[in-house]
Amino acid sequence: MPNSRPNLHALCLLPAGLTGRVCELRGDESFCQRVREMGFGEASLVTKISGTTTSLCLVNGTRIALNHCAAMSILVERLPAGAR
Amino acid sequence: MKLPDHITLPAGKRPAKGPDRTPIYAMVGNPNCGKTTLFNALTGLRQKVGNYPGVTVEKKIGITYSQHGRPIQLIDLPGAYSLAARSPDEAVLRDVLLGRREDTPQPDRIICVVDASNLERNLYLVHQLLDLGRPLIIALNMMDMAATAGMRIDAKALERSLGVPVIPCEAVNGRGLVELKLAMSRIELPLARHRWDVPAAVAPAVAELQASLTGNDQRPPLVARAEALLLLTDFDTIRVAGSRPLSARTLGVLAQWRERWSAEKTDWSGALIHSRYAAINTLCTGVILRGRDQGPSTSDRLDAVLCHSVWGWLVFAAIMAVMFFSIFSLAEYPMNWIDAHVAALGTWVKGAMAPGDLRDLITDGIISGVGGIVVFLPQILILFFFVGLLESTGYMARAAFIMDRPMSKVGLNGRSFIPLLGSYACAIPGIMATRTIENAKDRLVTILVAPLMSCSARLPVYLLMIATLLPSTTVPTSTKAGIMLLMYAFGTLGAFGFAWLFKRYLFQGGVPHMIMELPAYQPPRFKEITRHMLERGWLFLKNAGTIILAISIVLWFLTTYPKHPDPAATPTEQIAHSFAGRTGHLLEPVIKPLGFDWRIGIGLVTSFAAREVFVSSMGVIFGVEGTDNDPAPLRDALRAAHWPSGAVLFTPLVCFTLMVYYVFAMQCMSTVAVVKRETNSWRWPLFQIAYMTGTAWLVCFVIYQAGRALGY
Repeated sequence: MPNSRPNLHALCLLPAGLTGRVCELRGDESFCQRVREMGFGEASLVTKISGTTTSLCLVNGTRIALNHCAAMSILVERLPAGAR
Repeated sequence: MKLPDHITLPAGKRPAKGPDRTPIYAMVGNPNCGKTTLFNALTGLRQKVGNYPGVTVEKKIGITYSQHGRPIQLIDLPGAYSLAARSPDEAVLRDVLLGRREDTPQPDRIICVVDASNLERNLYLVHQLLDLGRPLIIALNMMDMAATAGMRIDAKALERSLGVPVIPCEAVNGRGLVELKLAMSRIELPLARHRWDVPAAVAPAVAELQASLTGNDQRPPLVARAEALLLLTDFDTIRVAGSRPLSARTLGVLAQWRERWSAEKTDWSGALIHSRYAAINTLCTGVILRGRDQGPSTSDRLDAVLCHSVWGWLVFAAIMAVMFFSIFSLAEYPMNWIDAHVAALGTWVKGAMAPGDLRDLITDGIISGVGGIVVFLPQILILFFFVGLLESTGYMARAAFIMDRPMSKVGLNGRSFIPLLGSYACAIPGIMATRTIENAKDRLVTILVAPLMSCSARLPVYLLMIATLLPSTTVPTSTKAGIMLLMYAFGTLGAFGFAWLFKRYLFQGGVPHMIMELPAYQPPRFKEITRHMLERGWLFLKNAGTIILAISIVLWFLTTYPKHPDPAATPTEQIAHSFAGRTGHLLEPVIKPLGFDWRIGIGLVTSFAAREVFVSSMGVIFGVEGTDNDPAPLRDALRAAHWPSGAVLFTPLVCFTLMVYYVFAMQCMSTVAVVKRETNSWRWPLFQIAYMTGTAWLVCFVIYQAGRALGY
C-alpha cells in the first residue's frame, strides 16, 4: 500500500515495545467505524506488544489483536521510546 | 412502573398495565465485561460464562426479585461495542432495545454493565444508550481488576456527571449485588443528564432524519433520534433499520445527505464517533484516577510467550498433547470400573431371569447399548474439564490469535477459529458462535466447515476403535493418544482445506479484517468449570438414557425379528435374517469398498441420530450375536467378529478407516437442524451432508484400497 506520508508506518511495522499515535485509517468504511468505536481512532496511542503478521497491541489498557490486513490499514506515527 | 412517554410497544405484546406488571430490564454491555456472570448472580441461573468475547450470542431471560420481593424480568443480551450492529449477535441487542423483536417485549429499563478497567471504551456504548432516553443503571463491574491495573474509579463523580445510578460491583465475587438490587427496586429512576450535543455541522442532518423517521416511519421521537444517529454512522440501512424497510422519504433524506457529504469529501460518520469520544474523555478526566505506570502486567508477560510466533505454537501443541494424553491415562481406571460393573449387571440379569425375549431385550438391547456408551463418561468429563480451563483462563482468545496466520491462508481470520475451537466440544454451540462473525460469507464458510472439527460425540467412536485396534496391555498410552490427536488433526486440516476451497470458488472475497479484544488472563474458576463439566456429563447421560436407550430398544427389535424359521439357527444367521440384517445387506454394496460390512452399515445409519449411537448399535448387534452368558467387553466382541469368509472384520485398517469416516461424515441430525436455522434455508445443510459424507466415502475408499494394496 503506497504511503503518502513518509513518517507514517503501518501498525504491523511498528516494533514491539514501542508506542505510536494513530494518524490515518485506511480500509473500508465499516472497518474504520469499528476501529474508531473500539477507541482505536485517529490520535489514540497504541503500544505494540508483539507480532508482525498478527499484531497484539495495547490501546487504553485493552489488549487488541489485529490480523495483518487490519494492521496494514492503520497508519501510526512512531513516538520516541518510553512515550505514553 | 410508569413507562416514559416515548416508549411504545407493538400491539399484541404490550404488557399488562398496573402495579402487578413484572418490570423488564435488559442487561447490556461490551463483550466480555461480565454481563452473564452478573446475570447468573442476580437470577440464580447457570448460563455459560467464559473469559473470551462472544460467549453469549442469543438473549437469555431470567427472573430476579426486588428488595421488596417483587419479580423483575432480566434479559441478558449479547455483548456489543456499539448499537451500530455489524454481526448477528450485535443485531440482537440493537433490535431488543429498539423494540423490533416480535418475540421479546421492549425493556422498560436498561442495566449497562461496564468494565471498570476499560472505562472509556465501555462508555461509548453507554453514550449511545443515553441517546435512547430510557431509564438506565450503570453496573461498574470488575472494580478489582481496575484496582489491580492501578486505577481508581470515582463512581460518585460518574453518577453526578451522567445523572444515572452508577453501582460499583464485582460480579465474580458477589460484591455490589445488594446495591444493584436496591437501584433496580427504585420506583422511579432519574433520566440521564445527557450533555452531549451532536456536532453542529451534522445537527441539521440528524434533525431532518429524526423528523422523517418520526413522521414517515412511526418511530417514537427518541428512538428516531438514536436511529438517525446510527444511520449517519453506518450507511447500511438494512444493518441499522433491520428487517423493517425505511420509508421512501427517509431513504431520500439519507441519500441527499450522503451525496452532499460525499461531494464535500467530509467524513461525518467519523466525526460523530470522535465527538462522542471527546465528550467521554472530558467526562473521564474527573472520574478515573490513574496511579503511576506499573510496567508490564502478568497478562503482558504471559502474552509475550503464549502469543509468540514460535513459543505460542509450542505451548498450543503441548496443551493439546497433554489434553489427549490425559483423556487416555486418567480415564482408564474409572472406565474399567464402569465397564466391569456394566458387565456384572448383564451377567446378573442373565442369571436372575429366565431365558426369553424380555431377558435378551434387557441384556442385549438396553445394557449392551446404554452400558456401552456410559463407559466413555470419564473421558467426556476430562475433555470438558480442559475446554473449561481454556475458556475460563482467557487462553481461548490467544488460540484464536495464533491461529490467525493459518486461517488467513485459507481466506478466513482468527475470529472464525473460536467457533471452530468450540466445535471440538460440540458443533451446535460452535455454529451458534459464528454469529459474532461480521462478514456473511465468512460466517457461512465457518458454519459449513465447523462440523469437521471432531466433537465430543465422536470421542466414544474413536476410543472404541482405538481399543479394538490396540490392546491396552501392550501398547503405550502415548501411541493411543497420538492416534486420537491424528484424528483431531485430520478434522482440523479438513476444515481448513474446505474453507480454502469454499473461499476460492464459492464465496470469493479477500481476507477479512480481524480486530479482536484479548481479555486479561484470570485464574481458572474451578467451580464454574466443574459445573459446566457436570452439566455436559449429565447431558451425555441423559442422551444415553433417552435417545440411545430408545434406539437400542428399536435396534434390538430390528435385529431380533422376524425370527429365523430354524430354531437352531446361530445368532449370526438370526441377525442376518432380521429387519436390520436385511436393511444392512441392502447397504453393504455401497460400503464394502471401504472395508465395512452390513453390521457396520447399520451403525452408520443409526448414528445419524447422534454419532455416539454407533457404539451402542455395535453393542446391540454384537451383543445379540454373542453366545456367552458372561458378556465380554465390546472391544473383545468386535475383535472376534468375522466376515462370512472367515476373515477378520475389524482389522487395524478397517478400524482406522472407520475413524476417518467419522472425522469427515456429517452424522448428526441436531447439527443439520441448527445449520438450517442459522442459514435460514435447507440448501446449506443439504449441501453440507452431501460434501461431508461424499468426502468421507472418497477418503475412506482411498485409504482402505491403498492399505489393502500395501498388504495391510
